[in-house]
Amino acid sequence: MTDLIIKLKTEIKRLFNENIVDVVIAFKKEDSPLRPQPAFFRPNDSLEDLEYNSLCQNNLANYLTKYPHETRIGIVVRGCESRSVNALVVEKQHPRENLYLIGVPCQGIVDFRKLVYQTGEEISGYSENQDEITVIFKGKEYKFDRQSVLHDSCFRCVHPNPVNADVLIGEPLPEGDSSIVRKSVESFEALTKEERYAWFRHEAERCIHCYACREACPMCYCTECFVDHDPPRWTESSVSPAGTQAWHIIRAFHQAGRCTSCGACERACPMDIKMTYMTDKLNEDMLKLYNFESGMDDKTQPPFSSFNLDDKNRFVA
Amino acid sequence: MELAATSGSVNLMETKPKIALFQCQWCLYSESDQYWVDNNLPPSIHLTKVSCTGRIDPLHILNAIQGGADGIMISGCLPEKCHFKEGNLSALRQHEEFINLLDYIGYERERIRFVWLDLQDRGRIQQELADFEVTLTKLGSENALVTRIETPVGRLND
Repeated sequence: MTDLIIKLKTEIKRLFNENIVDVVIAFKKEDSPLRPQPAFFRPNDSLEDLEYNSLCQNNLANYLTKYPHETRIGIVVRGCESRSVNALVVEKQHPRENLYLIGVPCQGIVDFRKLVYQTGEEISGYSENQDEITVIFKGKEYKFDRQSVLHDSCFRCVHPNPVNADVLIGEPLPEGDSSIVRKSVESFEALTKEERYAWFRHEAERCIHCYACREACPMCYCTECFVDHDPPRWTESSVSPAGTQAWHIIRAFHQAGRCTSCGACERACPMDIKMTYMTDKLNEDMLKLYNFESGMDDKTQPPFSSFNLDDKNRFVA
Repeated sequence: MELAATSGSVNLMETKPKIALFQCQWCLYSESDQYWVDNNLPPSIHLTKVSCTGRIDPLHILNAIQGGADGIMISGCLPEKCHFKEGNLSALRQHEEFINLLDYIGYERERIRFVWLDLQDRGRIQQELADFEVTLTKLGSENALVTRIETPVGRLND
């Protein structure tokens, strides 16, 4: 058990003892070490199973919108999760005074697919340190460099430290390099129009419309999604080229100015479809056009809900 | 061979680019313009009247593209002249970004055009549509994103 988990446990116990929160959202151990699951601890629950490591795939901010506004929620947040929480607070999905953010600086989430591709499915043990990941597969130890197995969106992460956290556990990490995101968007833009469309089509056509990306995304909290809307039918929701492409384009577009690049959508996808290349582009545009980065505070409205007359210079009449 | 060539060229001459026109119902100030749009539009232009450009969802635009429109034209009021005060401002921000996204995934941005109309712009909509048609004819037909399969007519329940 690492130092960090002990500190987390004492902090959560303190929160319950001082009656600050009603529920704490964190991760717990599961049968497979590859998949720690989100868990919801109530005051008298045992914290025995609490887990925190780089294999925690979900974005916990996803569960905020499932609780009524009166519930006082404590939540373990990494950099991207804290920004998702802020973005949700801006959109009035939960009052900030009923939230208690336990911040943990994040070294990046390990993509379990990258591990499994190199070893095999039945991984029985996992441990990690600062820059090395060790997994046990069929009784044999395999060591990986942390950077080589990070999830793509964590590799590009710019803000690993929680923003606006009430308490920070662990030492803050240095900020990431924003030019890495630029590079990946740039290399995609450098392709010709046909190549870009071919890439998009290749990614979209594998979609099976399970909507796991939607369920994993903290910002997708609409009670009725546009694909489920009927009637009027907004788009084909069958597994046809028209339906899958419309889903991928509009899903990404609904994230414009709201996405925090956590990459939970990609990690949730059973077909391993890349999606962040679109949201990265949208995020970059939002930064360029409106100087806005999602979730950096809990006051600023996202660009699409804060339009003003200064825009009129861009009306080409 | 010769026959095929001629028939091909004839086809090119005859098929005009299909345009989906989204028109804000308040943006045409002159009655004659509105009359022309309502009654005398050429058959290659499909008119959708909306209550404000802010009403147009990116999905509407995408639907038109997927259904085989060669170009999309959106006509609305200038800023400050919006009937609903700020609908066109929200529309501008959203649609601009939507076009950026479509361009990013390989759809030509020239195929979507905004026209912001003012009080004195009488007759401009016809001019703009003609211009747009020329541009689209030059661009040729587009295959990206045109994915809708036409519903078969004359089978099953027909």
